[in-house]
Amino acid sequence: MIEVDLRAQIAALERESRQAFDEAQREADALFAQYQLSQLIASGGSPAELGAAVLVELTRLAAAARGALWLGAPDEPELRLIATTASIVIPTRHADLAAGRAWCAETPDCTGLVLGEEPPVTLLALWSTPDAPLDGEGLRIAQLSRHELVVAFRGARLRETLDRERTELSEIVEGATDLIMQVDADLRVVRLNAAGERLLDRSRADALGRTCAEVLSCREVVGHAEDACPFAAVIADGQPISYRETSIRGAGGLPVRVAGSYTRAAAEGSRGVRATSILRDISAQRALEELREGFVVTVSHELRTPLALVRGYAETLLHPKLSPPDQLRTIERILAVSERLTNLVNQILDVAYLNADPLVVERAPTSFGSLVAQLRGYLVLAGMDHRLINEAPADLPPLGVDAGRIGRVLENLVDNALKYAPPDSSVVIRAESVGDWLAVHVDDDGIGIPESERALVLEPFHRAWNVRESATPGTGLGLYICRRLIEAHGGQLRVEARPDGKPGTRVTFTLPFLRQRGTGASKAGEPLTGTIAHG
Amino acid sequence: MQTVTEPTTDAAALRAAITRCRIAVERHRCELTRLDEVLGDGDHGDNLVIGFRAAELHVGELPGDTRPGELLRTVGHRLVAAVGGASGPLYGTAFIEAGFAAGGATTIDGATSAAMLSAAAAGLARRGRCSVGDKTILDTLEPAMRAYVDAIDRGSSVGAAARAMLTAAAAGMRSTRPLVARRGLALRLGARSAGHLDPGAVSCFLLLRAIVGQ
Repeated sequence: MIEVDLRAQIAALERESRQAFDEAQREADALFAQYQLSQLIASGGSPAELGAAVLVELTRLAAAARGALWLGAPDEPELRLIATTASIVIPTRHADLAAGRAWCAETPDCTGLVLGEEPPVTLLALWSTPDAPLDGEGLRIAQLSRHELVVAFRGARLRETLDRERTELSEIVEGATDLIMQVDADLRVVRLNAAGERLLDRSRADALGRTCAEVLSCREVVGHAEDACPFAAVIADGQPISYRETSIRGAGGLPVRVAGSYTRAAAEGSRGVRATSILRDISAQRALEELREGFVVTVSHELRTPLALVRGYAETLLHPKLSPPDQLRTIERILAVSERLTNLVNQILDVAYLNADPLVVERAPTSFGSLVAQLRGYLVLAGMDHRLINEAPADLPPLGVDAGRIGRVLENLVDNALKYAPPDSSVVIRAESVGDWLAVHVDDDGIGIPESERALVLEPFHRAWNVRESATPGTGLGLYICRRLIEAHGGQLRVEARPDGKPGTRVTFTLPFLRQRGTGASKAGEPLTGTIAHG
Repeated sequence: MQTVTEPTTDAAALRAAITRCRIAVERHRCELTRLDEVLGDGDHGDNLVIGFRAAELHVGELPGDTRPGELLRTVGHRLVAAVGGASGPLYGTAFIEAGFAAGGATTIDGATSAAMLSAAAAGLARRGRCSVGDKTILDTLEPAMRAYVDAIDRGSSVGAAARAMLTAAAAGMRSTRPLVARRGLALRLGARSAGHLDPGAVSCFLLLRAIVGQ
């Protein structure tokens, strides 16, 4: 009996311990399931990624056949489907939580679980398999993780919004055509946009971590001391600078004039104070302004001098005792001066005409000889024709150019040559055919144009330094107008040294020959050839 | 089904196997972590090294006459306690279940080892709520166990059964590459989890190979 009792007791103890063990195992299983769900919930990602991962886990925990998850947006009652475990035909939206719940209740085998009543409202639907109900333990674990899950979805929504805002902001910064640079409290660059990389010709990787003075080279270019650094100023006192012009070193090491604004962002969390600047390259604008100012100064000077002369001569004429020959001479001087004024005004009008878009050139068959003959006619009036030597061949084919405009070019170039050369020196016109083009050279014995200035004198209002120092008046427009008119004909104009090595200048330009349309086009009596005047 | 000439596994042999497991995870630590960086949180190699070092240390402190079953349960508890990730409780459960299956035996024969492996696989599947094809440890462990149990049932030697087991384990490990994960952190990746070996399936193969002694 005792033995039987003992056996029964042992069996009971074994049962008990087995039960305790199974209990502990179930507890451990539940804990581990919760741990795995928590890990997934904490793994982040977008609401859709998080929803998809969590839904698979919840469906499995509950031993469901399939599942679906709807998530609400903040500030609106509507729920949207964010994940399903299988492609099933279910509503992608519910008007609100009540509607979603009702739908789950009406759907066969479907259990609706509200995971979050607070935004973001979260509704889980689980379909049981035909042969087994949902696993109660799994549902309990899902319920336990409810709060965690809603917080995770809230975080995911927030991250989504932040990501979108960050993308939008960085698109704005990267897409800006102005340089945007941010420095920390030690004036070291922490951010530089694409426009900044281009303007400075320096990669972001190279710029980050260097001081702003190193990256912008502002000290070398403008020589400002550290206490004049606008970055240092805004970091020190927090007062934004809404407009400051300075110069920095741009691509190719050349100084670039920039206008900028500077602001300071206060320290936030572990991040220290930062200063941000937006710098705009205003060198082109500044150059244009300088050009305009130069133009106004030049033009007013050029206009005032002859006007003062006219006034002087007019006052002379008022003198009652002036002899008739003196009167005549004075009037002639007034005429000459007003001629200069007219020329100047014409040049200014020419520039306005050149800036018109498109530039219209009226091409007609023109003989080069006739252009030179016309020019000689003007020079006869001025008593200068003896200084012009024409060495161009007489038998050149006709040109297809705007005769009036090219006449002005030739006149301008020869005028220039005469103006800057010693009195009684010669100006020689030479010409040669180069393929479809006539290359014309105008050579003078003048003071020449320094090599470094040869390209610049072809720009508007530019006068070479040796000319500026001479007393010869000029607007700096002549060569520019000539170049533009030649280019409008498709040709080129350049300023060179004389090929024979003598001091002076050679201006060379090209003009197109008239295009022959077939051989019969140049027959005598035809309008094209008939209008050509041979000089 | 053990024959007289077949060597049996005793506690000393088991202690050596545990040391081989520690060496194996140390040697493949970087590879496992690299795989886990793709699919999980990138700590699988580190976790197993921590776990098996702790287990080896603990087993070393047990009296010399400690039986195989208790040694295995100790390894399992240390893995659960020392490892931070999911692999600790999963491998821990497998070792604990195997330990229980070994009972109080002093030596382990073919039939016992088959029962142990079978219990380990069942325990791991229950704890992880996973099945074959989910891209987990079980994709290696389950077919390995089946091959071993089948071989023992057919009367093969422990050595031959172990070779069959490793072949099946390797095939199981490789089968995880094209799979889309259905368990664990790799769930986040969805279809992107395909194309990579599962780090758990790889570590399971490494551990089985270490236990067999190859």
